[in-house]
Amino acid sequence: MSDGIDVGSPEEIEEGTARIVEPEESGFDEPIAVFHTETGCFFALNDICTHEEASLAEGWIEGETVECPLHSSSFDLRSGKVLGLPATEDARTHRVEVEDGRIVLYPGRDAEQAVRPSGPSAG
Amino acid sequence: MPLRRILVVGGGVAGFSAVRELRERGYDGELTLLSPEGLPYDRPPLSKGYLLGTEDAQKIRLVPEAWYAEHGVGLVPERASALRPSEGAVELSGGRLVPADRVLLATGSTPRRLGVAGGDTALTLRTRADADALRTALAPGARVAVVGAGLIGSEVASAAVVLGAEATLIDPVVPPLVPAVGRALAERLQGMHAERGVRTSVSVPVEITDDGGRRLVRLADGSAVEADVVVAGIGVVPETSLAEKSGLAADDGILVDAAGTTSNPAVFAAGDATRLRRPDGTLARRSEHWEAAVRSGQAAAAGLLGEAPPTFGAPWFWSDRHGVHVEAVGTLDERQAPDGRTVVRFVDGVPQAAFLLAADGRLLGCAVVDLPLMVRAARRIIDRGLVPDPAALSDPSADPRKLAR
Ligand SMILES: Cc1cc2nc3c(=O)[nH]c(=O)nc-3n(C[C@H](O)[C@H](O)[C@H](O)COP(=O)(O)OP(=O)(O)OC[C@H]3O[C@@H](n4cnc5c(N)ncnc54)[C@H](O)[C@@H]3O)c2cc1C
Ligand code: FES
Repeated sequence: MSDGIDVGSPEEIEEGTARIVEPEESGFDEPIAVFHTETGCFFALNDICTHEEASLAEGWIEGETVECPLHSSSFDLRSGKVLGLPATEDARTHRVEVEDGRIVLYPGRDAEQAVRPSGPSAG
Repeated sequence: MPLRRILVVGGGVAGFSAVRELRERGYDGELTLLSPEGLPYDRPPLSKGYLLGTEDAQKIRLVPEAWYAEHGVGLVPERASALRPSEGAVELSGGRLVPADRVLLATGSTPRRLGVAGGDTALTLRTRADADALRTALAPGARVAVVGAGLIGSEVASAAVVLGAEATLIDPVVPPLVPAVGRALAERLQGMHAERGVRTSVSVPVEITDDGGRRLVRLADGSAVEADVVVAGIGVVPETSLAEKSGLAADDGILVDAAGTTSNPAVFAAGDATRLRRPDGTLARRSEHWEAAVRSGQAAAAGLLGEAPPTFGAPWFWSDRHGVHVEAVGTLDERQAPDGRTVVRFVDGVPQAAFLLAADGRLLGCAVVDLPLMVRAARRIIDRGLVPDPAALSDPSADPRKLAR
């Protein structure tokens, strides 16, 4: 289990957008997207969609979901759960906290409300 | 009579979506999915990653095999040969009768054959087996003539040149796809063929001849295209034979209402095989896109259970060719907006998005090339009936995210 890393101040990620944290920075083996929702919350998922090669950070963030920019599968940002085809595998979550006015990402540590990011959950 | 046995005919994305939705809605009776092609898989990659060899059969299946057992779905790799509603059963091609209280037909469509002499020598692309055959034919240096420059024809030509083959696209309409994406984007997409080394020929085939291994596609303008392989991408025909044989109403598609109900109350239908009959009796255009198939499968699941189907917003499709991602939501067909107008967003002089506005300013459709957030914004604007500012739509610096808020 890794320690938290500082990924910036909350103002640095505009609401409704996301920032990608590359493996070099996080030490995790895949890029991680840190989302700032319009409800003011921060969430983190593996950036690459579980369907094909698309960056979820470039998706449409609405409420507490993100819609993939390629084929429109949506994922629940809180749990990583996939909400519709064509993707059928949940996205892996990572824990994010706001600590002393900084966004702290815990790469590889599941978010509190995460579903198990293992196999398909089509149903 | 309680509903205990549902049989779904056809394991495409419509049939699969219905099966999944039935379980999500809590149906816990018997559920059988007839899928003569075996484990259900997704078709869009067949003309994209699967054809290019970057995705394999395992990657394109809809869900892993274990899912069916986990959800109590009996997957039967057989065709249905007849519906026997009076006996409450469906007959399989092997002769076996499967009892069913309700049946869903999700039989999809099949490629339209090229109706000229020699036309049956043309390959078509609908199934994984078709894609495997095409992949073998698209060897480096092979000359490929693709008849039809619509979505699938253009994707095949695009894949062919990536694989090192020489491709010629034959279509009488220049540019194609104007009703689907608007003129500006249709012209941009057409122009990309030449940039990527795909030749285009503006005509229609009249005959395909084959003398001594020299295959020629003879065109109506008197010219001919020499090819090692001919592919036809000239549209699809809905698979209605089973339905028609059983006396169901069909007219270029099995006729259904919004809940998938056919003219027989025990039989429902969904996906590419169907055509919507509106409450006023008029017939909608048949959809041939992936999302519509998913949605109609979900709606039919509600219908099968006697529940109200969900309402869906504007339809959407995507297509990938020559390294760009094309998407459209709603309609770009100006004939559907008599006093409306089309607005185009250019980025550095290149059209990137097109919008069709109704006379009252509402958005009817949006098409984009590599601008995913815009089409997602547009979908919300359309579904919410908002009146967007046309200047913001065409301004390349206006953030799509802000437009739908
Ligand atoms: C190559 C290709 C690329 C595509 N790309 C895109 C894209 O990029 N974007 C997009 O939006 N759409 C795309 N589409 C369209 C999309 O895939 C279809 O709209 C969708 O597959 C329709 O699903 P369906 O379940 O209605 O029919 P189908 O997928 O055709 O499935 C029907 C199934 O029913 C089976 N069947 C038929 N008769 C019987 C019978 N008597 N008994 C048992 N089974 C039977 C068939 O074998 C078939 O497996 C593409 C289609 C193709 C072929
Ligand atoms: S890549 Fe995300 S849904 Fe296809």
